[in-house]
Amino acid sequence: MSETNLLRDRPVYVVGIGLHQYQRRSETTYVELGITAARSALRDAGITWPDVQAAYTGTALLGMGSSRIMLSRLGATGIPMTQVENASASGSSAVAQACLEVASGRSDVVLALGVDKPRGGLGAAPGQAGIENLENGTVVPFTHFALLASEYMHLHGVTAEQVAKVAFKNHRNGASNQYAQRQKVRSMEEILAEPISGAMTRLQCCPVGEGAAAAVIASEEGIRHLDLDRSRAVRINASVTRTEALYGAGVGIDAALTAETGEAAFNQAGIEPSDVDVLEVHDAFAIEELLYAEALGLCPPGEAASLIESGEFDIGGRCALSPSGGLLAMGHPIGPTGTGQVVEVTRQLRGEAGGRQHQGARIGLTHMVGIGAVCVVHVLSRD
Amino acid sequence: MTIQARHPHLLRLTDPPVILGHRCTSCSRVAFPPDPYGCEQCGSSCEDLEELDLEARGTVHAVATVHRHHRPYPTTPFTVAVIELSGGPVIKAIVAGSQVGVGAEVEGVLVQDLEDTEGNTLVDLQFQVVQ
Repeated sequence: MSETNLLRDRPVYVVGIGLHQYQRRSETTYVELGITAARSALRDAGITWPDVQAAYTGTALLGMGSSRIMLSRLGATGIPMTQVENASASGSSAVAQACLEVASGRSDVVLALGVDKPRGGLGAAPGQAGIENLENGTVVPFTHFALLASEYMHLHGVTAEQVAKVAFKNHRNGASNQYAQRQKVRSMEEILAEPISGAMTRLQCCPVGEGAAAAVIASEEGIRHLDLDRSRAVRINASVTRTEALYGAGVGIDAALTAETGEAAFNQAGIEPSDVDVLEVHDAFAIEELLYAEALGLCPPGEAASLIESGEFDIGGRCALSPSGGLLAMGHPIGPTGTGQVVEVTRQLRGEAGGRQHQGARIGLTHMVGIGAVCVVHVLSRD
Repeated sequence: MTIQARHPHLLRLTDPPVILGHRCTSCSRVAFPPDPYGCEQCGSSCEDLEELDLEARGTVHAVATVHRHHRPYPTTPFTVAVIELSGGPVIKAIVAGSQVGVGAEVEGVLVQDLEDTEGNTLVDLQFQVVQ
């Protein structure tokens, strides 16, 4: 069976971005969160809602039928709207669907929106699959990743302090992001306090709050027709989704799945890992950033910790890793997170990231993993 | 009062206890937990999966002492380990005590499950370092 490279043959661009700040759960309705981000993205693109031909809403926690009641408040234009659920990668998958819709030629302008409000508990389906295990609910996500941290530290002779430096960097990045849930520079002493599980402390675990993120996706034809500012359009060169395969007993699934998905995305975009200037990865827990930096081929196994320590992954370093503050500081409101990564990378590639701008950024990558397990990677670039 | 396994499909309450996995008769893949639907390696249906006894013994690959838990039991702190069973599959389970490190040899022991409120004695599997 042949595999076409749609995004190579039919270029797709991010032409507008918008966010509602990620924040603790509040009285704000999801409708308010969503339309705030959507309006902001339309304004940024310089278009109006009737220009949008379809919408995909990435959400995992709102329940059925969330899109129309929200987006019709921008005008009930009757366009197709679809909710997209892919656990933590829901917002990434909304972008992926919008890419596909535009690349297929069905639409020239599509909105990808991520929005969520946690209602207590994630309600993940795998727990209802009828497959028992011996864990009795003792291995929640922070312990799953604490166990990966234990294995990584033992294998590579890395200390808990070195792992914590991921959080030190990302909290510092988040401090200059007005949309971040956590906007405080933290000392290593603060980061190492309050143990949660294994080496993971409170500030090495992401906050799950609420928020929204939006990206307007358009074709060449859409840009021409609406006379959009081409210099601010960022191209999406690759959009790859994969699910967990079998990797052999004891192999960490999150990193193995990331390596496969990343490799496919680099091939689709026709680039090497060393070409990437900015990355937003699924750093829900500090150890993950080290695992994914290595799985994506930024450095050999076991070296990410010392590269973080020496500032190679800082804004202004070899490449900027989680310049938004990542899930650790910007936050992880689930549905918005993957779309928000595309927003941040677009901002960076446009050179509009202000105090956290990585100078000269040309190629960016977004990466989310989600319960299931799923992985979604996008590669973006500007000329 | 009866003695029951918390997970009767996963454990045999013998001394020493036995962990129940499955083996695919079509592709020979050994897995834990036993699956009611099919084989992830070759796609054979559950009729091709046969029950397989796994020794409750293995090597620790990773450990984490848990300080926050959303339920009253087990009481914190408790220690969870990734254990590669001698029979192949890798599982996660509670290890008694906090002295276990990566590389330790551990064996299964049956413990009374503290969450039981039905008047029955419910037992579950934990691991301990082999003396």
